[in-house]
Amino acid sequence: MLHNLEQYVVLAKSDFDHFIVALAREQKVFAPVAKDFGQFSFEQVTEGRQVALKYIPTILPPKKYFMPQYETLATFDTSTGQNMEPVVEYEKMVLLGVHTCDLAGIQCLNMVFNERPKDLNYLIRKNKITIIGYECNDYCDKYASCRLVHNHTPNGGYDLFFTDISTDKFIVHVNTLAGEEIIEKANVFEPASEADLKALEKLRTEKRAIFAKNEVPIEHERISELFDKAYSSKVWEELAEKCLACGNCTNVCPSCYCFDVIDEPNLDLKTGKRYRKWDSCQNETFAKVAGGESFREERGARQRHRYYRKFKYPLDKFSRFFCTGCGRCSRTCMAGINLKETLSKLIDEQGMKNPNAGEVKLG
Amino acid sequence: MAKPKVAFFDFACCEGCQLQIANIGELLLDVLGLIDVVEFREVMSEKGPDKIDVAIVEGSITDKHAIERIKKIRERASVLIAYGACACTGGVNGMKNNFKLEDIRKEVYGDRFNYFDTVETKAVHQVVKVDYFVNGCPVYIPEFVKVLKCALQGLPYEVPDQSVCTECKLNENVCMYERGVTCLGPVTKAGCNSWCINNGNICYGCRGMVSNPNEKGAQDVIKKYNVPMDLVMNKMNMYNKCRENDKK
Repeated sequence: MLHNLEQYVVLAKSDFDHFIVALAREQKVFAPVAKDFGQFSFEQVTEGRQVALKYIPTILPPKKYFMPQYETLATFDTSTGQNMEPVVEYEKMVLLGVHTCDLAGIQCLNMVFNERPKDLNYLIRKNKITIIGYECNDYCDKYASCRLVHNHTPNGGYDLFFTDISTDKFIVHVNTLAGEEIIEKANVFEPASEADLKALEKLRTEKRAIFAKNEVPIEHERISELFDKAYSSKVWEELAEKCLACGNCTNVCPSCYCFDVIDEPNLDLKTGKRYRKWDSCQNETFAKVAGGESFREERGARQRHRYYRKFKYPLDKFSRFFCTGCGRCSRTCMAGINLKETLSKLIDEQGMKNPNAGEVKLG
Repeated sequence: MAKPKVAFFDFACCEGCQLQIANIGELLLDVLGLIDVVEFREVMSEKGPDKIDVAIVEGSITDKHAIERIKKIRERASVLIAYGACACTGGVNGMKNNFKLEDIRKEVYGDRFNYFDTVETKAVHQVVKVDYFVNGCPVYIPEFVKVLKCALQGLPYEVPDQSVCTECKLNENVCMYERGVTCLGPVTKAGCNSWCINNGNICYGCRGMVSNPNEKGAQDVIKKYNVPMDLVMNKMNMYNKCRENDKK
């Protein structure tokens, strides 16, 4: 399954700090950093010791670099007619330590913003970002469901991909030219040996035992059918009772991309800017239209919409799940709305339970 | 074109929100370049003309005299901005409504209480029509500037009707509930950019509750985190007591 030896290099763990320092001298580097209370966030780093390689998914996913929370799209000047200048905000950067679930999230965003009309602001910025992935050798915590959506192993979407194969080194898959340039410039990477590749293969085999079956008792292929049946489920009413509509679940979701566009004048009331900011289908006003009518007034309908936007609609449109299995929505929900639980209830209700779904035959 | 005439007024409040104007910093010069301040008790002794373009009103309405005064201000002003928690939601003055008015007067004025009338605390919009709201205790200056720009251009300003959590999450703060602290962010209107939580404090709910809070859900959360209900009710009471007047 692992092919070309030339595509792999290794980095001694003792050289990791040196690598980060050298990289950060070239361009801005962002990586997971430990915060209080066992939480993490992507922050700018300049040294290896700042990087938390063992981390549970960060509060916000790396989408914050691809589509910032607030982003200027244009400036305007109405003093002599209606003049508008497009604006693209971007900077060259490296994202380091991106887990496979978040790589999947970025792939989802790429598909969405590549649709016509293409979102140039997004696409230009994306091209300036180099991604260094990092493999999870084990589950981060009980909220993850990456096996269910096949994101527990890498499926591309990175320039370089690090895997911790032993106590003293990482093996690195070089996937793009940009990745290759980083390797060459850093000058601390060694060619990988057959033994290194064997170690990687062994690790992947061990992972098959760890991520042995789907976290939720349903076959990957039957999720679509489940959602075909579950639209009028009682489960959505249960969620309505719990949900505070705070929007945390969508804000932390690596594949949620909804935004609102706002024109804001400067204090001279003549010039100003047009910007977009993250919006959420969970917000009271999201589906409110002129006249005050809201077509998703009920919190249950909004939660249902969120689930369908992960497991049904994108499957029909892009042939992929937009749930990346990262577990952030469950982790962040103070009302305790849990994705795995919700799916399990729907499965029970529809009589589609298979406790061994997705089981890998070992040996 | 003459600059719009803007006047500041205060009712029951600490005048801290008006003081925030002085905290604007350099932006203050741009703001002053835009408007003509004709009345502002904290900084000048002149009184404004009969007709003013924008009245910025701080404080809540707590006695008969105040009711008369706010009505007159409303008549003078083309646009009225309720400014700060006391004006927008009744603010901390609303706590008075937990007691009998008679007892309150005796507590405050002793045996001379008969000389002083009092009425149930009301937010400004519960007495006269309000065109714009700048919530918060104190107001969040970037929001005030936004509202002012809208008012001067005749555009509507919608106070965000989602919870503080939305902005707090965008700022990537560790949730206060994770820290084991009760925070009113989940039921409080956004618009302050989660100012308090960014600085390590909790949300006290000073901007008022979202229009459609999930009370049952909030109770479940409170139970889940083992927070005593009366503690939360007290916290809610601090800024949201006058909400009852809106239901009447």
